[in-house]
Amino acid sequence: MRIVIAEDLALLRDGLARLLRDNGFEVVAEVGDADALVHAVLREQPELAIVDIRLPPSFRDEGLRAALELRRTAPATAILILSQYVEHSYASDLLAEAGGAGGVGYLLKDRVLDVADFVDAVRRVAQGGTALDPEVVAQLLGNRGASRLDVLSPREREVLGLMAEGRSNAGIAATLVLSLGAVEKHIANIFQKLRLPPSGSDHRRVLAVLAYLQEG
Amino acid sequence: MIITAPVHPLFRARTYRELLFLAIGIPFAALVFALFVAGWTSIGLLVVTPLIVPVLLGYRGLVGVLSRWDAALARSLLGVSADPPAWSEGRGFWGRAKAVLGDSTFWRQQLYLLLRMVVGFGLGIGELSLIGGSFAWITQPIWYRWAENGFGSWRVDTLGRALLFVPAGLVGLVVAGWLARGLGALSAWQVRALLRPRPAPASPARLRDVRRRALRIHGGISLGLFLLVTVIWAATTRAYFWPEWVALPLGLVFAWHGIVELALSRVAPARRALAIHGGVVAALFLFLVAVWAVTSRGVFWPGWTLVGLASAVVVHWLVERSTRQGRLARRVESLETSRRGAVEEQDASLRRIERDLHDGAQARLVALGMNLGMAEQKFRDDPVAAEQLVAEARAGVAEALRELRDLARGIHPPVLSDRGIGAAIETLADRSPLPTTVTVDLAGRPPAPVETAAYFVAAEALANAAKHSGASQVAIALREADGRLEVEIADDGAGGADESGGGLAGLRRRVEALDGTLSVESPAGGPTTIRAELPCGS
Repeated sequence: MRIVIAEDLALLRDGLARLLRDNGFEVVAEVGDADALVHAVLREQPELAIVDIRLPPSFRDEGLRAALELRRTAPATAILILSQYVEHSYASDLLAEAGGAGGVGYLLKDRVLDVADFVDAVRRVAQGGTALDPEVVAQLLGNRGASRLDVLSPREREVLGLMAEGRSNAGIAATLVLSLGAVEKHIANIFQKLRLPPSGSDHRRVLAVLAYLQEG
Repeated sequence: MIITAPVHPLFRARTYRELLFLAIGIPFAALVFALFVAGWTSIGLLVVTPLIVPVLLGYRGLVGVLSRWDAALARSLLGVSADPPAWSEGRGFWGRAKAVLGDSTFWRQQLYLLLRMVVGFGLGIGELSLIGGSFAWITQPIWYRWAENGFGSWRVDTLGRALLFVPAGLVGLVVAGWLARGLGALSAWQVRALLRPRPAPASPARLRDVRRRALRIHGGISLGLFLLVTVIWAATTRAYFWPEWVALPLGLVFAWHGIVELALSRVAPARRALAIHGGVVAALFLFLVAVWAVTSRGVFWPGWTLVGLASAVVVHWLVERSTRQGRLARRVESLETSRRGAVEEQDASLRRIERDLHDGAQARLVALGMNLGMAEQKFRDDPVAAEQLVAEARAGVAEALRELRDLARGIHPPVLSDRGIGAAIETLADRSPLPTTVTVDLAGRPPAPVETAAYFVAAEALANAAKHSGASQVAIALREADGRLEVEIADDGAGGADESGGGLAGLRRRVEALDGTLSVESPAGGPTTIRAELPCGS
């Protein structure tokens, strides 16, 4: 699987490249700013670009803007945003730009510490899935969604959170130590209680859940 | 080509709603008239007594009730939505009266009611009479027998004559329909222009351009009028040059306009008053000289008037200068205080950050290093224990990262510079444990220091509400009006916020350093409202 990394801090860039290579990915380009990222992606046509939000020259949200542009110009390349901080408005932009297509992720850099989990997220996004940071999901579940989620049982809320992160049924089952059948039953209950339309792919499911949470 | 004739207003339900609005305006006008007369008479009589304050507040209340009532009527009948904006409230006994008089909403509502009175009473009655008259004419053939009517000796006494009125009545009705449309549009415009919250003021540069253009147009019209009468004079008598009497008032008015325009280009209002005063005197003097020139040309009598008027201007100038110095002195004093406050606040923040780094991330890194060191020692002999230590180290790193991120957000949240104050406050609301609503009404982005100060006011107020107030919900409103950014945080908690406490006092220093004001209303028993106003001016 071919990956481009855009990160301005050399220490982090090298570490990330090493981690990915050790886990069997092919890092085809490592760049330090947004322009170089766009060029590298258009040249290499990788399956995935891992992008830091803050990039030179102004160290604001160049990375995010370049990523949104890449969604239009190189839709075949999935985008995983890595950042020191998460804001759910950034995640909303990213998901809106992705539309129904999937292949987007937004994670805190901290998540790299849990290598197995991180590698799983990288793979999921590269294959057209979604990976949303638990903090983004917590922001959405915490305040706006809170009152409207009263109808759910605590277990169903946990499942909803993991679903919003973009995890597959198998992933949810493994995390919560449940059987696959139990997870499916919880999900069916959630969709029924929140009156959400049933949806096919994992990514569409994430969009439906997030749209529901953001309405509030 | 298909030409679709527009449907005449009389065939539309909307027209009848507009007519109803006009008709209601007639009794409404009487009510407004009574309120104006009673209100301003009592205000005038009581102006020097303390009673003026409750009377003024009561009068404003009634003006507000009538305006809101009419706005509701306009919403259902005209389809114009206008939520009258909130009043500005003053503090203290006299301050409340002052706030009423300085409140643009109050004056705009009165202007609205005045216009409604004029339109309702004058045009409304005219329109309804036209409709009634037209109906009377159209139905003339039915009832002419029983009525004695006609013009002079020409009596309507046969069916033929009565039928003559039918087309005239129809024309009247058609005209009345169009008129109703026009009056409806006029009423809707009044509501939109005067009962909605005032739109953001145009930029000073743009206003100046508009004013300059107005001056040029004024000059052009005056010159054109003068040329016109001169041509008339040349074409007719050519005797006494009477157009000078047209030129004199035109020129004076134009000169007056020019002086006011010049005065408005200046900034300070006190100097503007002086400039206008000087301008009036100059214009008056020019007028007298002109009168003297075209009449007697004997003794230069305007001279004495000039001496009197000029000495008044000199006195005004002296007074203005001394108060300006007083004002400057007070300004310097308040700047010194607020600068000292800002420096102290900055110093306190730096110390807090240093302490957080020392107790938090630094300590964690030390523990992390120790864990890794021990793991290194045990690597060969006890790999299970080493793995445990490495796992602990990783958990420590995650914790340190989380602390550092919170610290960085406390110094300056990234979303604030990326997306502005609106998005940053929405994020705050999302993170708050209390249900929080946010309304944002901003045209553009305020300057960065203003955004930062407003953000920290909201952050601190929200944290206080969550920690101490026992509130069940919080509302944050962010708006920009008259070049000021206003942020207001209202909770429904128990109140009793300690204004001298560290957090609020720090906020006050921060806000005052930007020439803003912070008000805290938190009576025991609640609720608490914290409001900061920050000038966004350059």
